[in-house]
Parts: sequence; C-alpha cells; structure tokens
Amino acid sequence: MRRVSIIQGENHVSGEPDVVISTLLGSCVAVCLQDPVNRVGGMNHFLLGEPGKDDMVHHRDMARYGVHAMELLINELMRRGGIRSQLRAHLYGGANIIAGLGSIGSSNAAFARRFMETEGIAIGHCDLGGTQARKVEFVPYEGKARSRSVAEIPKIIAAPVILASNDGDLELF
Amino acid sequence: MPAAAAIKVMVVDDQTSMRAMIRRTLQDLGFKDIRDKAGPVEALGAIRADRVHLIISDYNMPDMDGLQFLEEVRKDPVIGKTVFIMLTGSADREIVQKAAVLGVNNYVVKPFSAAALKEKIERVFGELT
Repeated sequence: MRRVSIIQGENHVSGEPDVVISTLLGSCVAVCLQDPVNRVGGMNHFLLGEPGKDDMVHHRDMARYGVHAMELLINELMRRGGIRSQLRAHLYGGANIIAGLGSIGSSNAAFARRFMETEGIAIGHCDLGGTQARKVEFVPYEGKARSRSVAEIPKIIAAPVILASNDGDLELF
Repeated sequence: MPAAAAIKVMVVDDQTSMRAMIRRTLQDLGFKDIRDKAGPVEALGAIRADRVHLIISDYNMPDMDGLQFLEEVRKDPVIGKTVFIMLTGSADREIVQKAAVLGVNNYVVKPFSAAALKEKIERVFGELT
C-alpha cells in the first residue's frame, strides 16, 4: 500500500485502491469522506471548527478551520467524480489531551458532528473525544477507516496567526 | 458610499455551513438584509422577484456553476447590473479570468478570511462603515 500522511490544514483525496491516508490527532479532528459508488474518498485534518469573529487569519491558515477544510475536501471529492449526496463520513479525534487547552477537543468533535448533520452527510464510524491521541488510517477506495490510541502527543503547528488578509495573486480589478 | 446596512445581499452556496458562515461574517461587517440560497436557480427566482444590490456566489455548485449563474444574471435586462462577487478555489485562475470576461465585479479565493471578504466588497462599494 502507498501511504500518504497528512497534517493539520491538509487533505488528501484518492480513488486508487492501493492508497492509505493516515494522520495523528490530539484535539484536532480528521474527517474521512467517501463516495462508495464512485470509489473515491479523502481525509482532512483540522485544528478548530470556525474562526472567531475578530480573528484575522492569513489565507494559508484558513484550511486549519473545519468549515473551510470541509469545503476543500468536498470540492476535491466532487472534482474527482464523487457525488455529494452519496458521501459517507467517519469522524475521529477531538480528544482533550493537553492541559491548558480547555475543551477545544470537545468543541471540534461537536463541530464535526454538527457539520455532518447540517449538510446531510451520513456518519459511519465515529471515534471522538476522550483524553488520548489517536492514529487514524483510511483507505479511500474501500471507505474503510480505523483508529487506535497512541501515547505520542501530536505536535500542534503554530496556531493560526494574525496577519494581513491575502486572497490570491490574480489582480484583475 | 453606501453603508453596509443599506446593501441587500444574496449569498449563494450549496454548502449550508458555508452560507451560515458568510452570513455571520456579513452581519459582523454591518449588513442587515442578507438572503441566501443553496443554488443559482433558486437564487435567480428570488432576485428577479426582489432585487438585491450584491450577489456573493460560490463557483463550485452541482446544478449550475458560478460562471453560468453570472452569465444568467448579466443577460437579464432587469438584474443584469447587480454587483457580483464570486468565491473560487485557489487553483481556479482560469475561472477567474472567464468570470472577468463575463463581467464579474470581484472574486474571493476560498478559504477566505472576514478581512478578505470585506476588502473585496469595499473595492466595489467603497468603505462599508
């Protein structure tokens, strides 16, 4: 099997039978989506649900937020032939493992469940919450995912930072 | 320069969560009259029945994409001059160029921040506050 590892803010989509996508989660959440008819699936990994009202976040950090990470994953799945109404989700992560981070994990888990409910995406397997880090593996072609607890605490790569806005380099107007 | 509160907006995106987020962002910017629809067909009906000043539309939608929607708006003699801002993905350079030819007023690359959306709206309407 070809292994593709993703970190927060990333996603990977594949329809190849020999690909396994993996990630390491603490308070972050990974959503695995698959269209079982067209055999295409993908996983994302996000740090927080939504940006706060006063957060100014650099363009490149926006995919660390669930609302944008989900959009990117769904769009890529649709681009690769997935049908939105056929998507099924497996949800992982959202642990409260780091002292001082409060209940960020629980908030992320709640965001993921709420998102699927709002968007009408069926939830298959779900392993959210708790206090331990997880390693998640997903075979997008099969739609099969599994998670196991690990002792390793995933490194949080610098939280979204306050910077000037940036929205692409094509200046037409 | 109209204040945000005086601008009627239609948000069009097939993803409910994204519509809700854009709505909250617009409310934070001072917009009061915000409508939203899940697709261009519904939106066209609503806009023709009750005109708006600004359309903010996703590009990537299942039944009619953002470019087709823009084309429909621009060829309509009644709503043809409505300000149209398109939301695109970062790799959609070609789409932005096509949208410019069709008469889009501006574009915002997804994922976007509140500041980016504000800046693009202000480039068309002037300062919002």
